[in-house]
Amino acid sequence: MKSIVVCLMPGAKFDKPTAGLLAAARGLDGQLTVIVPGTVGDDTTASLAGQADSVIVCEAAGLSEYQPELVLGVLQLVCSDLNPDIVLLAGDTYSQELTPRLAGRLGGVSAGDAQSLKLENDNLRVTRSVYGGKATAVVELRSKPAVVWVRARSFAPAAARDSAGSIEKRIVELAGEAAKSVDATKIVERHEESTGTVRLEDATLIVAGGRGLGGPEPFEELKKLAVVMGAQQAASRAACDAGWVPVQWQVGQTGKKVAPELYVAVAISGASQHLMGIADAKIVTAINTDRDAPIFKHCQFGLVEDYKAVVGPLTERLKALLS
Amino acid sequence: MKILVCLKQILDPEIPPRDFTINRETHQAIQGSANLVTNIFCENALETALQLRERSPGEITALTFGPASAEDSLRKALALKADQACLVEDDPATSHNSATTALVLAAAIRKLGEFDLIMVGREAGDWGAGQTGGLLAEQLGLPYVAFVDHIESAGDGVTLRRQTELGWEKVEAHLPLVVSITNSEENVPRIPKTRDIMMSARKSVTSWKLSDLGLTDDEVKSNGEALEVVDLYLPEKKSDCDFIEGDSIDEKIDEFAKRLASIVQSA
Amino acid sequence: MTLLAALNAADATREVMWNISHSWLMYVLLVPTMLIAGYGVYRQVQKWRSGQPAARFDRPAERIKRVVKNVLLQQATLRDRFAGVYHFLLFWGMITLTMATIVVMIHHDFHIDIMRGRFYLYFQSLFVDVLGVLAMIGVAMLAVRRWLLRPKKLVYTDESTWLLILLFVILGTGFLLEGWRIAATNDPWGDWSPVGIVVSKTSLAVAGVETLKSVHFLTWWFHLALVFGLIAWAPYTKLLHVLTAPLNIYTANLDHPGGTLKQIDFEAAQSFGINSLEQFTWKDLLDLDACTECGRCTSVCPANTVGKQLSPRDIILDLQGLLDRSDLASLKAQGHGERPDEYEPAFPIIGTTDNLATEALFECTTCAACVEICPVSIEQMPKIVDLRRFQVMEQAEFPQQMQDAVSSLEERGHPFKGTQLSRVDWAAGMDFPTIEDIESPEVLLWVGCGGALVDRNQRSTRALANLLKKANVKFAILGREETCTGDPARRIGNEFLFETLATQNIETLKTHNIKHVLTSCPHCFNTFRNEYPKLGGEFEVMHHTTYLAKLIGEGRLKLDAQAAQKIVFHDPCYLGRHNGITDAPRKLLQQVSSQPLAEMEMHGRQSFCCGGGGGMSFVDEPADQRVNQERARQALATDAETVAVGCPFCTTMMEDGINTLKGDRKINVQDIAEVMWEAISSEAR
Ligand SMILES: Cc1cc2nc3c(=O)[nH]c(=O)nc-3n(C[C@H](O)[C@H](O)[C@H](O)COP(=O)(O)OP(=O)(O)OC[C@H]3O[C@@H](n4cnc5c(N)ncnc54)[C@H](O)[C@@H]3O)c2cc1C
Ligand code: SF4
Ligand code: SF4
Repeated sequence: MKSIVVCLMPGAKFDKPTAGLLAAARGLDGQLTVIVPGTVGDDTTASLAGQADSVIVCEAAGLSEYQPELVLGVLQLVCSDLNPDIVLLAGDTYSQELTPRLAGRLGGVSAGDAQSLKLENDNLRVTRSVYGGKATAVVELRSKPAVVWVRARSFAPAAARDSAGSIEKRIVELAGEAAKSVDATKIVERHEESTGTVRLEDATLIVAGGRGLGGPEPFEELKKLAVVMGAQQAASRAACDAGWVPVQWQVGQTGKKVAPELYVAVAISGASQHLMGIADAKIVTAINTDRDAPIFKHCQFGLVEDYKAVVGPLTERLKALLS
Repeated sequence: MKILVCLKQILDPEIPPRDFTINRETHQAIQGSANLVTNIFCENALETALQLRERSPGEITALTFGPASAEDSLRKALALKADQACLVEDDPATSHNSATTALVLAAAIRKLGEFDLIMVGREAGDWGAGQTGGLLAEQLGLPYVAFVDHIESAGDGVTLRRQTELGWEKVEAHLPLVVSITNSEENVPRIPKTRDIMMSARKSVTSWKLSDLGLTDDEVKSNGEALEVVDLYLPEKKSDCDFIEGDSIDEKIDEFAKRLASIVQSA
Repeated sequence: MTLLAALNAADATREVMWNISHSWLMYVLLVPTMLIAGYGVYRQVQKWRSGQPAARFDRPAERIKRVVKNVLLQQATLRDRFAGVYHFLLFWGMITLTMATIVVMIHHDFHIDIMRGRFYLYFQSLFVDVLGVLAMIGVAMLAVRRWLLRPKKLVYTDESTWLLILLFVILGTGFLLEGWRIAATNDPWGDWSPVGIVVSKTSLAVAGVETLKSVHFLTWWFHLALVFGLIAWAPYTKLLHVLTAPLNIYTANLDHPGGTLKQIDFEAAQSFGINSLEQFTWKDLLDLDACTECGRCTSVCPANTVGKQLSPRDIILDLQGLLDRSDLASLKAQGHGERPDEYEPAFPIIGTTDNLATEALFECTTCAACVEICPVSIEQMPKIVDLRRFQVMEQAEFPQQMQDAVSSLEERGHPFKGTQLSRVDWAAGMDFPTIEDIESPEVLLWVGCGGALVDRNQRSTRALANLLKKANVKFAILGREETCTGDPARRIGNEFLFETLATQNIETLKTHNIKHVLTSCPHCFNTFRNEYPKLGGEFEVMHHTTYLAKLIGEGRLKLDAQAAQKIVFHDPCYLGRHNGITDAPRKLLQQVSSQPLAEMEMHGRQSFCCGGGGGMSFVDEPADQRVNQERARQALATDAETVAVGCPFCTTMMEDGINTLKGDRKINVQDIAEVMWEAISSEAR
């Protein structure tokens, strides 16, 4: 069994998703090669080598930044040399873009959003949630290679191996069709938006506040919590109406419809109009003084407390737990 | 510009949890009283195409691969003033995956003629695989850009805006090109005029069988077998809220923090 | 004087056309006057006739009754005290004066000697004089209102000012003429004209008989000129309502306001909905010319009250303006052909003024307060819906959130995009029969989308079901087979979708052989009662308030305990105003509660909307323009502890409003069924 991990995260560093991705690959036995298309720091390379049998850092003209056709061409070349059974990528935009194409180029089969991986008769089985989270499916990939992007954070990072793998720098030169098509698309501008402005609809984590907060200041408190969690902030209409937060934060029937992995409702009662906005949230939890607040009917777990006593200490605890 | 938009008809993703049931034998969702609807991202794609055509001249073809009922999605596209529509009818008995879909769509596209821009939705609201666009690009040997939410024509190419997890990018691209479309404030699907709905019923829809595309069942089948659903189940749902209990508030906060942390870490 | 006393009352009369020479000139002037006035009327009549057909001459007895009530007795007008009173005075004053003139004409021109004796004294002298005075008082009140009180709902135009002055001068000169004649002829019967005699005496005190005679002569012609002038001008002013109002009241919609929306013939209609004058029916066009500009409709309009653009009066007046400016010939040439591929309105309406802008049209809750209050039976709301239909079906341009509701209706048969509930979730664990389990139920409980798919309302629906169980009613629900009745689609303006949903429901109910339907949603109720029959669906439908009252009446449901809290009832528009049911819920609550009911100032058929009708419950209103908060304020002005409602939409709207404004006060919002179930059931407590 030969596996490849493609480390494509922008400016590839050994961060949490990378560690998760590698852990996912190490959960499957066999030979593991990490391919990094592009420049990367030495310590990152070393950390990667600590997790794999070998690391190949590719260099090619223009490879200092991601361009779809170029990176795909490079990966096709390097991967086909290795003749892998499995190729794993993370869940960033670029990896998602590349996964099916790489499968196509390598004559394999692809899947996305894997929450767990398993080998069964030498075939890769991928567990993923389908129907908007209403069902879970296990799919088996029966062609080789199986190219899959995984929900990297779902996998707990593993410790480095005893002996570090080899590190190779490879100069890649594209030829023929691949070389010609490199310019077909070109990313000419890249904009990063500060976290507060990522669209609520796309947020994976949301901390929302309601009328029970009583004013704009507590939203500042919640912001600290949100920052620690890497979450977006949202609100009920009552809070938006009061002018405590911008109307764009409103979630609900007449606000945004969100679909995060986690929705934390602080001092929100859970009126039906509000609930209609969080129908697609995977996990809902709430902090509310009222045990009978309707929001709890939609929570997997909840905390019946005054937010004033909770938010500060909670932020501290989470900071410690998540660091 | 000749634009092709791929549409998929799916089981209404808004089906309430209590109404959602599956067949564990066939690994399929049961339709029950729910409706079939056009996948929202495909609708975003059509909307993006319509807006593009409003800005610069073009022609829009809607294409779908699915059961006979998928004609409804095409009729809606026609009501929204797509110029032509084509249905490749599949056999509801055989199950398909992204790979077979891409294979069939590519064959249909070749038969339909040359297109400058081929649009698909970023993923479908049922299986959410998000693979078809990329696979289709490979089938057709075309470049591909994913998560596009805005298209402008620029010279003989196009300028795209695409969303990334941290923001957005501007992409310049030559044609022909395959893109997958994601939603934004701008491409909220419009609704058709009633008059146009009535008119659309009179328009013709090209309807093909797989054999019309020169594809053999075996070819499709072998592609399909490369990926097989081996299990489909409903995740265990706790209906009741699990209230965090504890002797002191600190204890409760601690437990609450732990639960949050574990979710945050895996998200 | 002794001689006078000897006069016989039976001979009492006066000389007609006294002091007037060249009276032939009057007839000469009458011709152009009548021609001008006649043309004015004729032109409008022709314009109305260019409209589409409408059947409004059936049931003459009912129509005559309506005219007696609202024209002769001025009942509708009198609902506004001040304006009602002066209008009443003016109305009867002017009629009497006109009748007096006709009497003169009969006497003088047809040589029938009727101005004589007691009739002359009692009617022609005394009564006419008194009524003339009353009319004067009316004019004075009108002036006070227009120039001193200046209520916001009035339209302040020069035309109105001139008309007012004209009326005043005509009435005034009339009295002067009478007085001077009495003075100059030393009329033995002068005492019978109280004002006349006063004028006579005062005039004699300052001038001689000869002077009076010549002033009388001149004034007479002046008076005549003004009267003729007014007659000629009237059809071109709002005074046209003198003619159109009675006509309009006669041809009014006799059904409940809930049943007035037009059906569309989708095969034949030139356009779906209206955006051109000639697409209105003749009756709609007549409506426009019947408006008296009184402004009552706008003053009761919930949307307008909270500061929105929507103003039913100005919609009518702006349409009237368009009609005025439209050219008759081309108006008549339009509107009767085949349906074109692209419809081009000949006399576009939507967007021509702020009042006719899309935004304003989609602020209407279709509450029909305007229709209810209009003294001349104008139907503002149905016209708004006609215009909405065009925006929805021909343009697909209307508020996004309403579009979402419509799409959801199309795709899943309910308007609540994003709901996590299924149609049967509310019944979980309650063991209710669905239609499959039960052969022929006594009633079908039509839960409705609002009752099933909104968390809050599950409680109300469960309460109702529990009450039915307690009363041993053999009922069933359709469960997942139920879809929206189509009410929101219809009010938003998607008639096509409404018909689709309606036909489907009628089909379903017929398959299950359902005869009796029970529902807690007034919107569903209204649709079943007033709209399905026109599509071939005849069911006997009851609102739960009526039904529960019936169960109590029959002794099937026993009220062995009472609610202790103070209750105020909020009338749902589609129950009260649209269907005239205002007593049943009150009687029921009175039985349930141990305390007398509180009442809000606006209640019953004059109730104020919760803001949720017409698709508005799917729309986020600006924070400072929420109808539900205005209504909540009205409820909070009572000393109630529970606001009882009878509609799932009202429940959510009122609850949101009350929760926003109640502060520390203990007050909640409950459906009547909840109030009852809590009162009588230990389970609920
Ligand atoms: C047509 C319409 C559309 C609407 N659309 C939306 C929409 O899109 N989105 C939306 O959110 N709403 C919407 N609403 C409003 C909705 O009905 C509710 O009024 C609103 O969601 C209530 O907001 P809330 O939960 O913040 O406030 P409340 O209902 O007042 O709840 C406050 C909560 O805070 C809790 N609390 C108070 N103090 C504390 C404390 N110290 N610590 C912890 N908890 C505390 C209370 O127990 C309570 O549960 C709509 C309403 C209508 C009529
Ligand atoms: S129906 Fe109600 S909301 Fe609409 S215009 Fe009339 S009064 Fe206003
Ligand atoms: S429509 Fe009726 S209520 Fe409104 S201003 Fe005219 S006459 Fe008055």
